[in-house]
Amino acid sequence: MSAIFGNFFMAVRGIGSNWLRTFLTMLGVLIGVASVIVLLAIGTGSSQSIEKSIQSLGSNTLTVFSGSRSGSSSGTQIRNSTLNIASVTALSSSVNDPDVKSVSPVVTTSLSATYDGTSYTTSVIGSTSSYLTAENYTVSAGRSISHSDVVNHAQVIDIGSSVASALFATGSDPLGKQVQLGSSDFTIVGLLASKGSSGLSNEDAVVIAPYTAVQDQLTGESQSFSELLVQGKSSSTLSLAESEVESTLASLNDTTVSSLPFTVIDSASLLTAATSSSKTFTALLGWMAAVSLLVGAIGVMNIMLVTVTERTREIGIRKAIGARKVIILTQFLIESMVISFLGGICGVFAGILVSRFKIDGVKPVLASYSIPLALGVAISVGIVAGFYPAYRAASLRPIDALRYE
Amino acid sequence: MSHVTSPTPIIAMKDIVKSYMMGEVEVLATRGISLSVQKGEFVAIMGMSGSGKSTLMNIIGCLDVPTSGHYRLDGVNIRHLDDRALSQIRNKKIGFVFQGFNLISRMAAIQNVELPMAYAGVRTKERRKRALAALNMVGLSDRLDHFSSELSGGQQQRVAIARAMCTNPALILADEPTGNLDSRSSAELMTLFSGLHDQGRTIVMITHEPDIAEYASRVVILRDGAIVSDKPQSSSRAVSYELEMSGAPLLGQVRAQD
Ligand SMILES: Nc1ncnc2c1ncn2[C@@H]1O[C@H](COP(=O)(O)OP(=O)(O)OP(=O)(O)O)[C@@H](O)[C@H]1O
Ligand SMILES: [Mg+2]
Repeated sequence: MSAIFGNFFMAVRGIGSNWLRTFLTMLGVLIGVASVIVLLAIGTGSSQSIEKSIQSLGSNTLTVFSGSRSGSSSGTQIRNSTLNIASVTALSSSVNDPDVKSVSPVVTTSLSATYDGTSYTTSVIGSTSSYLTAENYTVSAGRSISHSDVVNHAQVIDIGSSVASALFATGSDPLGKQVQLGSSDFTIVGLLASKGSSGLSNEDAVVIAPYTAVQDQLTGESQSFSELLVQGKSSSTLSLAESEVESTLASLNDTTVSSLPFTVIDSASLLTAATSSSKTFTALLGWMAAVSLLVGAIGVMNIMLVTVTERTREIGIRKAIGARKVIILTQFLIESMVISFLGGICGVFAGILVSRFKIDGVKPVLASYSIPLALGVAISVGIVAGFYPAYRAASLRPIDALRYE
Repeated sequence: MSHVTSPTPIIAMKDIVKSYMMGEVEVLATRGISLSVQKGEFVAIMGMSGSGKSTLMNIIGCLDVPTSGHYRLDGVNIRHLDDRALSQIRNKKIGFVFQGFNLISRMAAIQNVELPMAYAGVRTKERRKRALAALNMVGLSDRLDHFSSELSGGQQQRVAIARAMCTNPALILADEPTGNLDSRSSAELMTLFSGLHDQGRTIVMITHEPDIAEYASRVVILRDGAIVSDKPQSSSRAVSYELEMSGAPLLGQVRAQD
């Protein structure tokens, strides 16, 4: 017991005897471990921001656009090919479309919103209250636009947090205020909670109004919608909902599904592709980090080989005065483990430190598994890299070690 | 000098051969040496350079294994021992003093002396006490924390003797301990060895110098890997004569110094 303890101090003294070389070796391990942590944090950070945008888009929605999937939409003017209120009514029928939860007609435009001389360019969405649910908007103050607002063509709006902070001083209450959109005035009835930046677009720079009012005042169109937002009952039955929507629209327009003048896009599938590519990206980063850790390992092994060779005579003396093989073995093993452990710990701190900063626009998020992983690898590296030279040293016949030049 | 003759010799060698392959050629470092040393003897091993003295000494000290022959150390056949048992013998039964590379340079004098006791599992306090006593005995109590680069050759040898005796080994082996020392340091060192011998330790020492061999109770002379003379100690002049017969080259100079 005390022999092993003494052995530990002997090993530590051995490390201290050539601190520059030891430091450089530790630096190798440090950089390896830190890069594992940082690169995995970058991967996690970017895939988390993509996941966030999946959630904010709504994971179980379909978007129906006017225009065929394959051809040019403007060229093919087929009868009844616009999205109108009849399409909404047809799709809302629970008989034909049992897996559809809601259908929201959408008219969009981009405008300057002005209040008290301040202007802010925002996208304006004319829809119904179900749009907010489907797009995961929540009202943080006031109320959402209602069914009666739609029926009454009421000029009321819910505004996103970016719009609110651009037009109103902090502390003042935007509720009830009149905002000028285009040439008309709209009354703010609700504030939307921030969805956070998804990295793709700012979904807080938005104004949501009843589509009837938007059609009257802003787009001048009274019949057609730019798109329909269909919310499925659940994400697992979304593909069922998609085919129901397609066949309902086909029969409404007296055509077949294959020549449908509309495009139905499943938002989730787009984002699944994005997620899987971000996973590939994370894995790639992980491999790069593993390579740098491997380089660190080779560094430790190299130093241990040099150290053992340099100290062959010392090993001879130790064996001549009664050191057992295991004692020599553990001395060198402890030495390389201490080097890689200290390097690993410093690497963990360096990795955590670097991960606090934004790197190339990505906010790294520490992956909880990366720290034990990196540290575990660093220590195993110490054991593996130390074992061979240590074993070689311990196996020498004392006389061969003593004679070594 | 009391000679305790015990029934089991501490060293019992029979037909010890050690050969090295140098490419195609087989070099015989020892060619069938038989030697028996009783407890309490002080044996000087002499012979010209290359006669196989160090080879024999390394086999005695279990640092090397013979190519053939039988060796019993204190009644134990060495050939069948594993690493653990061998290191225990090196640690407990034998104390080594080499000619040159004795100390671990990264460790202070006292740490060098403590090391074999650390391997033996002696407690820290006890270890320090015994190391201090041993260094005191060799007259180095004021050089405890010096590294070997900060010690003279004679001082390094004395640290090595302190290290060799602090585990109370029955057998002390010394390969040319006075090789690099002036005559005064050599005499001091030999006084230490004589003291250990008087305490009843068995000492086997390699030397080139007849004056040094005079301290021994028995002189063994090797030539070409074989024993050519094995006699109780007589005078330095008689040793010189024996050496001359064995063909040692340094003899003319040794006699010129007389
Ligand atoms: N490792 C080895 N490989 C090959 N030959 C060796 C080896 N060690 C010793 N020898 C040979 O064995 C013979 C005896 O060597 P040894 O070292 O025992 O001589 P020695 O009597 O101690 O000489 P010296 O007085 O010079 O120290 C020499 O001829 C030497 O060349
Ligand atoms: Mg020799």
